[in-house]
Amino acid sequence: MADILRMTGITKRFGSVIALRDVDFDVGEGEIHALLGVNGAGKSTLVKIISGLYVADHGTIWVAGQQRSIQSPRDAIGCGIAAVQQHPELVGDLSGYENIFLGQEGERHSLFDRVDRKAMRARAEKLLERFPIEIDLSTKIKHMESVERETVAILHALKQEHVKLLILDEPTSTLTQLEAEKLFEVMRTLKASGIGIVYITHRLEEVFEIADRVTIFRDGQKVASLDTSDAAHDEASISRLMLQEEMGELYPAKAPEVATPPVLEVRDLTVTGALERVSLTLRHGEIVGGFGLVGSGIETLAKALFGAERPNGGEILLNGEPVTLKGPKDALRRGIFLVPGDRKTEGLTLTKNIIFNATLANLGRASYPGGLLKRRRNDTLIAEILEQLDLRPPQLWRRAAEFSGGNQQKVVLAKGLFSEAEVYIFVEPTVGVDIGARAKLYALIRELSKSAAILLLSSDFDEICGLADRIFSLYRGQMSVPPSRDLPRDKILAGGLMGAER
Amino acid sequence: MSDLTLSPRQSRKRPGDQLLTFGLPLVLALIVIVFGVISPAFVSAENIASTVRSSSIAGLMFLGLTWVFAVGEIDVSFVAVAALANMIIAGLISGGTSWELACLVGFLAGSFIGVVNGVLVAYLRLPSLVTTIAVGGIATALAASIGEGYSISIPEAKHLAFITETRFGPIPLLAPICALAFLIAWYVQEKLTLGHYIYAIAENREAVVEAGVPVRRIIFLLFVLAAVCASFAGLLLTLELTSGQPSIAASFFLDGLTAVLLGGTMLKLGKPNVLGTLVSVLVLSALVRGGALLGWQDSVFQIIKGALLVAGVTVIIWSNVERD
Amino acid sequence: MTIEALRPLLARVVALAVIVVAIAVIFQILAPAYLSERNILSILKQMTVNGIVAIGLTFVIVLNRFDLSLAGVASFCAMTLGFLLAVTNSLLLSVIGCIAMGAFCGAISGMMVGRLRLPDVVTTIAIGSIAYGMGFVYSGGKHFSQNFFSTGILDINDSKLLSIPMPVVIMLGVAVLAYLILHQSRYGQSFYAVGENPTSARLSGVPVRLYLGLGFVICGALVGASMMLNVAAVGAAYVNTGNRILLPSYTAVYLGAALFGTPTILGSLAGAFLMAMLLNGFNILSVPFYYSDAIVSFILILAIAIFSPQTLTWLSRSLRLTGGRSRSTAETRG
Repeated sequence: MADILRMTGITKRFGSVIALRDVDFDVGEGEIHALLGVNGAGKSTLVKIISGLYVADHGTIWVAGQQRSIQSPRDAIGCGIAAVQQHPELVGDLSGYENIFLGQEGERHSLFDRVDRKAMRARAEKLLERFPIEIDLSTKIKHMESVERETVAILHALKQEHVKLLILDEPTSTLTQLEAEKLFEVMRTLKASGIGIVYITHRLEEVFEIADRVTIFRDGQKVASLDTSDAAHDEASISRLMLQEEMGELYPAKAPEVATPPVLEVRDLTVTGALERVSLTLRHGEIVGGFGLVGSGIETLAKALFGAERPNGGEILLNGEPVTLKGPKDALRRGIFLVPGDRKTEGLTLTKNIIFNATLANLGRASYPGGLLKRRRNDTLIAEILEQLDLRPPQLWRRAAEFSGGNQQKVVLAKGLFSEAEVYIFVEPTVGVDIGARAKLYALIRELSKSAAILLLSSDFDEICGLADRIFSLYRGQMSVPPSRDLPRDKILAGGLMGAER
Repeated sequence: MSDLTLSPRQSRKRPGDQLLTFGLPLVLALIVIVFGVISPAFVSAENIASTVRSSSIAGLMFLGLTWVFAVGEIDVSFVAVAALANMIIAGLISGGTSWELACLVGFLAGSFIGVVNGVLVAYLRLPSLVTTIAVGGIATALAASIGEGYSISIPEAKHLAFITETRFGPIPLLAPICALAFLIAWYVQEKLTLGHYIYAIAENREAVVEAGVPVRRIIFLLFVLAAVCASFAGLLLTLELTSGQPSIAASFFLDGLTAVLLGGTMLKLGKPNVLGTLVSVLVLSALVRGGALLGWQDSVFQIIKGALLVAGVTVIIWSNVERD
Repeated sequence: MTIEALRPLLARVVALAVIVVAIAVIFQILAPAYLSERNILSILKQMTVNGIVAIGLTFVIVLNRFDLSLAGVASFCAMTLGFLLAVTNSLLLSVIGCIAMGAFCGAISGMMVGRLRLPDVVTTIAIGSIAYGMGFVYSGGKHFSQNFFSTGILDINDSKLLSIPMPVVIMLGVAVLAYLILHQSRYGQSFYAVGENPTSARLSGVPVRLYLGLGFVICGALVGASMMLNVAAVGAAYVNTGNRILLPSYTAVYLGAALFGTPTILGSLAGAFLMAMLLNGFNILSVPFYYSDAIVSFILILAIAIFSPQTLTWLSRSLRLTGGRSRSTAETRG
């Protein structure tokens, strides 16, 4: 297998921080090479050097056997290296092929070229002849599924004739498992046509499914480069390499069975088209976990329990009393708190400081009857809460935007604690939180469960299995596996991926 | 290769779309018929000529404005630009400069306001609304300062007057000029990359930037174009009124916004476009002429235009909401 | 755990004071009567109309919306006031009617923007134009000045409380109330939450649409209140009373936002005060209105340029280069 890319002795520093230290890396023709590592391990720095966004301080780069200097993205493209960003930008109102050739509609690249859609379509056909992928490029982007959009973005990167190496930055992070399978099909097609692929991911299991080799980074250094076909390696051994510790230590110990009276009971909850007769019970002292993919109904379940979505049927009982939730305000008043899936757009006011954010969900508690804020008392209260949560840096006047993902999530938690909620609904609590901070968050959620009822909804299977005491699966709005303890992992997984057994 | 079907798939059409597309021309026809019946003077050659002439000036003024709105920005300085061009021309002529030179200087000075807007909004990325309010304020102030707050009377332009005065039957010369401008603009909007990018930028600016399209230059150009159009309209107003008035175009402000946004209800389903602007200009002109014949006051027009503006925006928003 | 940062408020107040002193010194040199007690009071009195409008506008700007109906609504309110004075001969009734009409116009804008989700800019332009047209309804465009003596509306302008002109007292009262609401109460926190991130606000139990509507209502009501002072000062109500209100009030709010890093009541008031200082000075020097308009516009551009995130990023970068920590810039935006 001929090398497309070979890099030796790559070093990159930012000020006094060494982001990459003496790294060797290579990708062969038609090879899918996965990059693994926690956030900050150095994999994205490497990828940015390959695609010309950063310039290495030391080291040499060979592309297709020739030594090349990559000083800019333009150089990278000139070498036949194309990158697809994590969230590719596409124009929803334009078709797939119009997006692929955006900026290259005409011959002269001026603002007054004719937009020759016929020629663009012909070029798109040609592109698909080279890469026989199943996709209808005349559909508008806004009518496409996420995996189709990702495919359009890949074709966009491949439109240059001579692309030899493709970089994919966490393309599956927003895809469901089924969609990820479709993307893998696309990747296999590209592989068959001889393109080398550098593939960044967080999902270990994908590495074994799609990659030929995997390189693991830790603290700016290459820890190992392994063949995935080698039977000596498995997910556990790789995660050890990434973390220097067992995966098991990520999650706190589970709680024994509890028999306290139910705090929140849901009976046959139905939201037309999204949720069908879902029943579950939350108690103090345990974490109930719901596993489901995007579109399985976990989002709707969370919203319905938070009053943000009106159920069409079924009952919600809070401490034994049936309640109708009129909206988020009503839910909060009754002690239900939602930790939303996207903390940046749903959970926080990023431009405001921590005290502002932490008090927002219970302004009644934060103010005197007339509405004036109890400034000093709020300050001390929030300080106490975040002391417990170990906010870093512990500066409450900083804007929320200036904290890392894990610490932002702590602020959202503080919001719930300040609102004195007794039911917490977590949706995808650790998306974009690196593994070190995850362990802390999991410990906090476990700690919280001692005094509150907790529902954890996630599409991260490991997270659900590692953290929750009782687990159910949702599939297309139906509870394919009802909440239960000590179920075999494969049964839960199958329930979430394929629905109930018949 | 399996199911590659690159023939354009029919987008999901709803019955309301047709009405939306042809609603505005229908309204125009309705207005013409109703006023024609109530007041026969409305369809006299004289009235048609003057309606078409004022529509042409307004149309030329709002042509560039249309794309500023289409790209997702806003420009409220066009009225001030027209006034500035008008006052500079009048000021120069009353000082003894020739008509040709005065027109050239006034036109260029007005267009320069667009350059200022463009630099501030496209390159310094200041918010367009407040920026154009302020730049418009400066232009208005400059226009007023030329006549020290008063209007300037000037003699008629002998050999340039034909531009506004020539008529072929009920059709003034300005009409084919305006029509040609809109035809070219329609071609640019529908067939050339510039138009393609304008609507793409409105939807996802980042994607267009990443595609290597000079987005800033486009936005800059659109602001300049808006000012060029407004400036040219100011020039025409000078020829027609043979005077310089600091608030000459004030009444065009609401018309411009209404025309552009009402026009967005036509053809491109909620997006401002030049043909829509042209038709709504005709609607507004016909309404004003007809109403004037019936003795309506300015305040009534204010109310009607405001209501039309709200209606246009509502239709745009609702048609887009239902779509997705 | 550090709660209290060194609030940069002091630095900002100092900066403001420097600007005030600079303006005062320049005008004092050019026109020696500038700093007389009489003139200072007249500056304060001059700022009241724009100051009150700017306070109202601040609520809308904090919500991240625009209200361009100010001019039309102001004219309509003024005519309503004049009409009510002529008809009812009751000051209280007329003033309540005037403020209520402003609030009503604001409520319509607020409902369209908040509930129907129409774009704020165009909607308020339309509402403003309709309101302007409605101003003609009472008299067909003729001005009102009947019963101005008998009702005592003129006294609002002429009377004093503890030797402070009544309009200034009224403005300060409005400002204190607005300050308490926007900066010291849960309601103000909700206003900012809705303006910065409506989704997170809604999920935090803040009734987003209500606050959007409320902002426009407050703005409209204060436009009405400012017109009460304006009509009292002018001595008559004209259909174009509100024409020169939009630019100075936006300038005041953005100047305040530039000075204080974010739109605030104190900032808007400071902005209005600076504007009044300038306009009064130009007036004394008999600079024609169009030049002072040009200067106001220019200040507005400067203010938004300083307030813009681009400039702030640039500033923070240069501060970091000189070894300063990023804290100061973070606070600038926060």
